[in-house]
Amino acid sequence: MLGNRTRDARRTERYLDGLMAADERRASDGPVDTDLDPAIYVAAQALRSGLVRVHPSFRFEESLSARLAAGALRLRSGLPVDAEAVIVPGTVASFRGRSFTPAEEPAAAPVSEPAASTTPPVHSRTIWPAAAFRRFPDMTARPSRPLIVGGVGVASAAISIGAVYVAWRHSHPAASRMGRAARTAHGRTGHSGHGRRSGVINGILGVVS
Amino acid sequence: MFGSSEEGARPARLDRDRGLVEAARRDPSRFDTLYRKYLAQVYSYAFYELRDHHAAEDATERVFMQALAGLPRFEERVDEFIASRAPLSAADSAEFSTFRVWLFRIARNVVANERRRDRRRPVSSLEAAAEISAPGDVVEAAAAREAMSAAWQAVARLPEDRRRAIILRFVDEMSTAEIAAVLDRSEGAVRVLLHRALRSVADDLRGGLS
Repeated sequence: MLGNRTRDARRTERYLDGLMAADERRASDGPVDTDLDPAIYVAAQALRSGLVRVHPSFRFEESLSARLAAGALRLRSGLPVDAEAVIVPGTVASFRGRSFTPAEEPAAAPVSEPAASTTPPVHSRTIWPAAAFRRFPDMTARPSRPLIVGGVGVASAAISIGAVYVAWRHSHPAASRMGRAARTAHGRTGHSGHGRRSGVINGILGVVS
Repeated sequence: MFGSSEEGARPARLDRDRGLVEAARRDPSRFDTLYRKYLAQVYSYAFYELRDHHAAEDATERVFMQALAGLPRFEERVDEFIASRAPLSAADSAEFSTFRVWLFRIARNVVANERRRDRRRPVSSLEAAAEISAPGDVVEAAAAREAMSAAWQAVARLPEDRRRAIILRFVDEMSTAEIAAVLDRSEGAVRVLLHRALRSVADDLRGGLS
């Protein structure tokens, strides 16, 4: 015969299984068990909404993927996976996260082109950093879920957005008369973006005025 | 167990990742599929345990490099591991990923080593370690942030074994059988661990409200 503690623990487990199944179905409401200790119910709900899955930055993901691809190549050649860890005296130790030399690169080919059938399904509770800027289906399914992103990802994304905005401003003349006038006046001083850009283009093309 | 002739003797417990693991063992470059599938789970586990994005990245890298290096020996290790455990039901075995359990056992060791090494480093709170933004309006975002903060504080105060079980259950969505395999405990022990952890969290939340 089961003791009270074991019976309660089993009941809690059944409830948690139901909660997980509800998440799989993307159902907002969880299972109902009137005999469940209300304290367990409150704690489970709080943890369900509070403990989200965290995704690292995409830069880290791609960097590690490349290192694994290089490791896979070494493994196929019968070498240790992480050859970088072995430092031979008199050689230069490679810097972590560096780009690959052409000699190493071909191994990445099968990895960088995954077959559609082998692409893993996106988990319903995984939260991606890019969702901060672009809405994924996951986010629309549970829009109230908070988002956690890797610190490096936030900084690089913010810098990228800034750079894109500056480039866009330079390539799009102001629509208003005042804006055009201001840009023309500024351009006369020789500091306009157009001036600099055309200078660079002329330099590339070898045009001498 | 992979392709073993003993399959008939034991219930089929391998496994939802069987095809991917076999492909990766034939051609290690196919390991990328498994890596992408479990990256967020391993990283989350490391992040909640180490409370630092950089430390979590380092740990995650070590876990996957070790997993790739150990892939050729995976069969033997699984055999040892499975031999020590009771058979699963047919329903459980359909959901059970021996690879995931193996990966998380590596993660558990890597994270434990990391924690031992950095014991003297001050541990920041999870809120400070994470950038949180919630879609929707400001009120909604504030409420989400508050809920997460309360949950994290309650989990951070749990004893180590309960905290691990809670993270594996709620963040990595593992079954009791999988958690038991990762933590090297019996399923009954994990059930009680989770039940007690939830009671502690409930007490903590109640204390925070009053």
